[in-house]
Amino acid sequence: MITIENLREFGADVDTGVKRCLDDENFYIELVKSVIPDTRIDELEQCIKDKDLDKAFEVAHALKGMYGNMSLLPIYEPINQATEFLRSRKDVDYLSFINEAKAQKQKLIDMNNARK
Amino acid sequence: MEEETSFSKVGIRRLVLIVDDEHVNRRILGRIIEKEYDVIYAENGQEAYEQIKKRENTLSMILLDLIMPVMDGYQLMALLREDPKYSKIPVIVLTAERTAEAKSLQIGASDFIPKPYDMPEVILARVKRLIELAEDKTIISAIETDALTGLYTKEFFCQHAIIHDNYYPDMPMDAVVLNVNRFHLINELYGRLFGDKVISTIADQLKSIVSETDGIAGRAGSDSFFIYIRHNSDYSVLLDRIVNGLINGTGNSSINLRMGVYQNVDKNTDPEHRFDRAQFACNTIRSGYTNGFVLYDDTMYKRELYSNKLIDDMHVGVENRQFKVYYQPKFDIIGDKPVLRSAEALIRWDHPEYGMVPPGSFVPLFEENGLVQKLDRFVWEEAAAQAKRWKEKFGVTIPVSVNVSRLDIYDPELEKRLLSLVERNGIDPTDYVLEITESAYTDNSEQIIDTVNKLRAHGFRIEMDDFGAGYSSLNMVAALPIDALKLDTQLIRKIDESEKELRMVQLIIDIAGFMKISVIAEGVENEKQYQLLKEAGCSIIQGFYFSKPVLPEEFERLIEEKIRKTPERGTL
Repeated sequence: MITIENLREFGADVDTGVKRCLDDENFYIELVKSVIPDTRIDELEQCIKDKDLDKAFEVAHALKGMYGNMSLLPIYEPINQATEFLRSRKDVDYLSFINEAKAQKQKLIDMNNARK
Repeated sequence: MEEETSFSKVGIRRLVLIVDDEHVNRRILGRIIEKEYDVIYAENGQEAYEQIKKRENTLSMILLDLIMPVMDGYQLMALLREDPKYSKIPVIVLTAERTAEAKSLQIGASDFIPKPYDMPEVILARVKRLIELAEDKTIISAIETDALTGLYTKEFFCQHAIIHDNYYPDMPMDAVVLNVNRFHLINELYGRLFGDKVISTIADQLKSIVSETDGIAGRAGSDSFFIYIRHNSDYSVLLDRIVNGLINGTGNSSINLRMGVYQNVDKNTDPEHRFDRAQFACNTIRSGYTNGFVLYDDTMYKRELYSNKLIDDMHVGVENRQFKVYYQPKFDIIGDKPVLRSAEALIRWDHPEYGMVPPGSFVPLFEENGLVQKLDRFVWEEAAAQAKRWKEKFGVTIPVSVNVSRLDIYDPELEKRLLSLVERNGIDPTDYVLEITESAYTDNSEQIIDTVNKLRAHGFRIEMDDFGAGYSSLNMVAALPIDALKLDTQLIRKIDESEKELRMVQLIIDIAGFMKISVIAEGVENEKQYQLLKEAGCSIIQGFYFSKPVLPEEFERLIEEKIRKTPERGTL
């Protein structure tokens, strides 16, 4: 279950995120839930596999903005690093960042599915 | 005071477009902005451009992400800068990139908001400030509000009416003009301070009315107000409210207001035009001693415009010979058969835009403003010259009669002018007949008797025109030096239907006969009227039954016919 406490435990900067939502915790949780069905981390992975770094940057940039605004730091951090490398089209191991982001996203999904 | 007339008071919420491909960002930003603004969204530059095109007049701000699919923020900005319709809409760039900030400002962004959105209050304040700045730039006005009332000045008011329409294009609106009757007298009688009190009390009423009715109010002149409000079908309530407010506020119930209302304005006309119409309706209220309102009537206004156009076009019309003199024959009906006796010169206007304009449309207008004198002199000249031409061509003199307007009587040069005219054209004054309208005699009898006596002494013959149309007095006929009475069409029209009318005409003819004044009947339209007039002893008739007014060439046929029948030379 996604709650303020669970998110805090997850490592999200809940205070900043809630503040951006004009201190409306429910609105913040609603937004966090809204990213669960988002499949763009998979899309990013595919772009990397296809070596389409331009498209990958566009997707990574959008994800960075989204997770950044909600301060979901465990997902934001690897995405942010990937974005910065993609900006200069560097040849690095993007999949390691993506796998980390996917693992963290899975935790969020599990949290949403859990009863508590 | 300014707050009273600000937009928010009249219920206009500004519209902000948020463009971001990321829904979470859109929602967070939307939350912040929608506290004070209406918000619409787009997911990319292309979608945004479509939205902007639909709302070019009402969009107050664009919040724009830079990196987006389909069309990015840079491309959209370039498109907007190209088009003057959109280039004035302020854009704030939303960016997480430090490097993008400078670039976005260079290509025309007004400001930027860094992502993530950590300071909601700052974002809102920036949006607000930029919207205000942009609007101040758009509405160029040195003085926005009137110092005494805090209402918009006229120019500023009109700008706001346009903005109001942009926001509410489908809202039916009324343009209202409110004037204080005899305001200069209020200032005179009660002092300037009281006058100011009257104006500011009315302004306070208007402010409270417009705050309830989605409208705006302005001060259009010293004693004049403009109100632009949602359509209202009953203005008596509104007027009563203002009047009562004025009485309560000033303790004086003798001040009267008049109101002109142009309902359901045509939004294709500019605001100045709409208020011209409301002002026109307001000006039709003549009484200064009651409170009242008049609704604008399109027909009335068009008639006024038409009259003004005729007045404006008159001088050019004379110069370009658009005015033509027609001649209507007068027939002597004493004998067995009617005999051509003389002609009346009548003016006609072949207007380049309106075609043939009947004299009834322009003569009364020109009488009001004195232009008729110029027209009269034109006819006098033409008629005299025509009489001269006929005399030369046929060897006979056809007496012509011309109209002399009331104003001509006051012309000190009248006698000299007419004498010179007949001399120049070689006409005997006895063949130049002056028709003076009956109402001129009631105006200033002494002056007219004096003038007419002098003219008769020179030999001119005088006919009293339109007898029976106004306040006729038989006593007047006895007192005035005239040669003939012309019975007005109105008297003649019903003689074949009503015994009463016929008897009246009979009586006038009898009295005129007793005084040795001949009687001319105008407007004879049928055989029966002709017979009745003949039997009643009328000596001369004029009217469509014999001939309508015709151009000189056509009139000549009548002269030729007459000469054939009575070949003796001389006067007809």
